[in-house]
Parts: sequence; structure tokens; C-alpha cells
Amino acid sequence: MRHLTIYALRFLLYILLAAPPLLFAAYAFSTRWFFPAPFPAEWTTAAFARVLRDSRTLSSAAQGLGIALTVSLLSLILALPAARVLGLRKFRGRQTAWLLLFLPTVVPPLAIGMGLNILFLRLGLAGTLTGVTLAHLLPTLPYTIFTLAGSFARFDENYEFQALALGANPFQIFLHITLRMLAPSLLTAALFAFLISWSQYLLTLLIGGGQVLTLPLLLFSAASGGNPSSIAALSLLFIAPPVLVIALTARALSQHGNEIREQY
Amino acid sequence: MTTVNIISLNKTYPNSAAPVLKDFSLSVHDGEMVAFLGPSGSGKSTLLKLITGIERPDSGDIHFDGVSILNVHPNKRGAVLMFQKSYLFPFLNVEDNIGFGLKVQGMSSASIRAEVKRMLNLIGLPGIEKRKSGQLSGGEGQRVALARALVTNPKLLLLDEPLSSLDTSVRINLQEAIRAIQRELGVTTIFVTHDLGEAMAMSDRMALLLNGEIVALDKPEALFHRPRSVAAAKFMGVSTFLSGNQPCPEQGRRVTVKNEVCFSSEKIFAIRPEHIRVQKGGCENSMRGVVSDCVFRGEYIEYQVDVNAATVRARMPMPAPMFPHGAQVFVKFPQEHLFEVT
Repeated sequence: MRHLTIYALRFLLYILLAAPPLLFAAYAFSTRWFFPAPFPAEWTTAAFARVLRDSRTLSSAAQGLGIALTVSLLSLILALPAARVLGLRKFRGRQTAWLLLFLPTVVPPLAIGMGLNILFLRLGLAGTLTGVTLAHLLPTLPYTIFTLAGSFARFDENYEFQALALGANPFQIFLHITLRMLAPSLLTAALFAFLISWSQYLLTLLIGGGQVLTLPLLLFSAASGGNPSSIAALSLLFIAPPVLVIALTARALSQHGNEIREQY
Repeated sequence: MTTVNIISLNKTYPNSAAPVLKDFSLSVHDGEMVAFLGPSGSGKSTLLKLITGIERPDSGDIHFDGVSILNVHPNKRGAVLMFQKSYLFPFLNVEDNIGFGLKVQGMSSASIRAEVKRMLNLIGLPGIEKRKSGQLSGGEGQRVALARALVTNPKLLLLDEPLSSLDTSVRINLQEAIRAIQRELGVTTIFVTHDLGEAMAMSDRMALLLNGEIVALDKPEALFHRPRSVAAAKFMGVSTFLSGNQPCPEQGRRVTVKNEVCFSSEKIFAIRPEHIRVQKGGCENSMRGVVSDCVFRGEYIEYQVDVNAATVRARMPMPAPMFPHGAQVFVKFPQEHLFEVT
């Protein structure tokens, strides 16, 4: 009976996870699907083809992808030293540093966006790809720092000392030991940064000012248009990269499972 | 092959009032293995960190073959450290772990493979090149860690309690292996431990560390049988100290023990527990006491005898008489085994 309940709950969870994309797929590849019909009357790729033919779709997807990947990389570069200090060292003002770094997660995004917009207008960064990329770092950094600081808190520096005594220079230690030891956490942190940046609407709109177009902006615009097939097709395109990235990350993490266990 | 000179090292950590090392000086001869023995916090591990360059001393110097290494970058010092845990890199197999030091020094892959094979033969684990560190037992992991440390041909091998996390049988096996390999390669070695038996079994000389200072430094057998200070004697397992006099110094150790077991303004003498005799009748250099504990341990009997206000611990090899708890006995301190301590 207990097993049955667990299986039922698992099945329910899978349904909840699979239902939205399946519904999007059904809408994107069908036409004339009216209530109370359980299934669409006709299947077609017309809506999908129409969305793909729109030049804005692929350019906004490519632009969003470029921004998300850059933000992920920059987040890691910026978060790594901060996380190392916060995770490994005890110092006066550590709690205050944590609070400051986490402020972007508690302050309303609109307030941050408006403030940034004024600042970036003065700096000439408003409406530019650089401006949007830098703006995306604000909500992503707390998550990457938090993820990496957790790993550094469990990180044993003796691995680095061992490499040092064996003759490795600081760069070799960073490259061959630190990065390798932290690889699973780096991957997870990069995933967070990618997902947050990829789905960022408000900051892209405020800082990009319509000059920088990403899929969330296009999706919101399509949603106001009211065509369910187009919305569904764009939604499928929108969720494809995160699903792919999550799947690849999960695969990599499961492969590194043994190494992570040995480390601690 | 290196002679190491540690000269007046001082080290105090920022948040600590007491210094970890106080005016610490020592010479380790070429190819010698010196064991540092001391309780936790005595400064043993700090000394190793200072030698490897992980920490910097407040003052003092360290010389390898007469040349100061304090301004040499840690990765160029040639002092390799082996910890209590093997710290094998979990993402590398045995071959890559052992070859790591050679790889970062730019050696070719073929030469690295040959060196790894040679080291695996030396540590008695041939053919495990492709195993991951997670597939090794604790003892195998430490052997591989030793091979990784030695393959770079270090000037100085530093062992920081490398056997303390292992089972007794594996530990004894590895003690012999490390000692044999160290002798074969002739690498100068500093070995840190809190295990007296391990230090005696492995080292050429032993240094006792207490509160950042060397309280005794000698060959293991000399330190075991004739420690010169009370602190050293206590560390070597001596718990009985007696005050007395020495009426005929020219006749050697002719000691008349006074009827007390305590420190006094007179000379202090010590005796190892295995040299104390518990017997029924009194004689010279004996004191009356009451057996407070008697434990049969197979090869010997361990007695605790209350003598005046103190407790004397004796370890009598079998066969020996067994006195029950509360028995009135005499505790004899044979003159020839009494030694003076300061």
C-alpha cells in the first residue's frame, strides 16, 4: 500500500511537470481545438513554421542565448573570489557582506530596474547589449555566490596545499585542482545564472528599452496578441534551452557523483 | 639528500595569545628520519606548514643545505607534505595522481608513465595505475600518496600523522613500508605523530614537543629508557617520580629513596613502570602500599598501588604474583633502574 502511494505521488509529480510542455506542444502543432473536445481536431506545423519564419524569433533567441551564456560566465568569474572568501574565511563584517550581496533578491526588481536605468542612461549603457548583460548580473550573482560559497565551506584547502607542495604554481592549482574540485558546483551555479538570465523580462525591458530583444519580450508581446498557437510555439522555443541545459547538467552531476562524495 | 636546519623559529597566530612555536631550533641530518612527538596544539603541524611555506614564521629561518628557503616559493622548495588523509585527487586515477607533480613540472607522458610504474613497484602495488582513488583501501591510498610525494624526488619529506586514521594491522604494515622506502631512497624525513610506539618504530631520532618547544631530542631508545626531564619522562610513559639523595655519586646510581612519592627540593628520580616490583616483603628502596587496582593483561599485570598520598603504577611481566585489591604490599624501586630527571 505504501509503495502504491509513493508510485501514485511520483506519477502525479511527473504529470505536473510534463503537463505544461505537453499542452504547449498540443496547441503549437494543432488548429481548431475547441472546448469540450479532448483533443485537437487537426494537427499542423503551420503555427510553428510561422513563428520560426518571423526573423525576430531566431534573432531574439540567439540574442537571449548569448546574453544568458555571457552572464553565466561573468557570474562565475565574479562570484568565485567572493564565494571563496565568504565560504572559507571568518572575518569581521562577514554577515554584512552576505546581506549586501543578497540585497538584489529582496529589493523589488522594479526598484532595481528603475535605478539601474537612470544610472545606465548616464553611462550610455541603456539600450545596449552590454547594459542588459550587466543588469542581468544583479539578480544572478546572489545565487551563484550562494551556491559556490556553500561548496567552499566544505572545500578542503589541503588539496591545494598538496598540489603546491608537489610543485604546481598558483595558476596550475586553480586550473587543475580548484576548478576540477568545484566543477559540480560551478555547473550548478552556471545553470542558475543561465536560467535567471534567460527568463529575465523586466530588467531586459527596462534597460534594453526595446533595443535589445529577447524571447521573454517576444513572448509577452505575443501573449497580448491572443493567438494561442503562436504563444504555444514561442513558449516551446522558450523552454527548450533551459530543459536541455538542466538535462545536461543533471547528467554531468550524476557522472561526478562519486568524485563529489570522495571529496567530502 | 638534504640537511635541514631550523633556526630560532617563532610563530604566533593572529587570534592566539600564546605562541605556537617558541625559539624553535633543530637540525635534521641528511637522509635522517626525525619524529616529532607531542600532544595536539604542541606546534607539530605548524612546523610542517612553516617548512612547506603554507605559513610564514614571525621570525627565524629555515635552511636546506645551508641555504635559506623562506623566500623560495612553496612550489619550488622541494618539501613534500603527506597528510593524515591521503588527499588523492578524486577526479584522477592512480597514475595521474602519482604523476601530478611530474606533469606540472613539464615531464613528458612517457617518462611520467615509467616513473609511476617504478613508484608503484616500490610501494608494492604494481598494476593499479587505472584505479580511481575511491577504489583504494585506506592503506593503499596512503601508499599511493607516499608514491606521489616521492616521485618528485623531494629534498624533504614531511609526514603529518599519515597513519593515524588506519587500522592497527595496516598501520604496522605501513610503518615498516615507509621506513624501508625512506631508507632505500635516503630522503630526509620529518615525521609528526602523537603515537609513541610509531615514533619509536620509525625514527632515527625523536623530538618531544610541548607548548611549541623541544623538551627532549634523542635516539628513541635513549629517550625511552633515560628521558632527562620530568616532562619528557611523563611523555614517555613514566608516571613515578621519587625524591631522594645520591650519597656516593662516584659509585654510579646508588640512590636511597625516601619514604615519599612526590616532588621535593631534593633530586628527582624516575623509574619506568615495567621496572617497578610489587612484592610481599620489604627491602631496600621499597615502600609499603595498598593495591588499589590489579589488571591482568596477558603478557603482564598492571598494578596501581597507593603509597602514602600517591599512586604508583607498575607493569610486571608474567609470571608475576597477583595481589588482590586492598592487599598490603611493598613496592620496590630497583636502584639500577632509577634515573635522575630535572
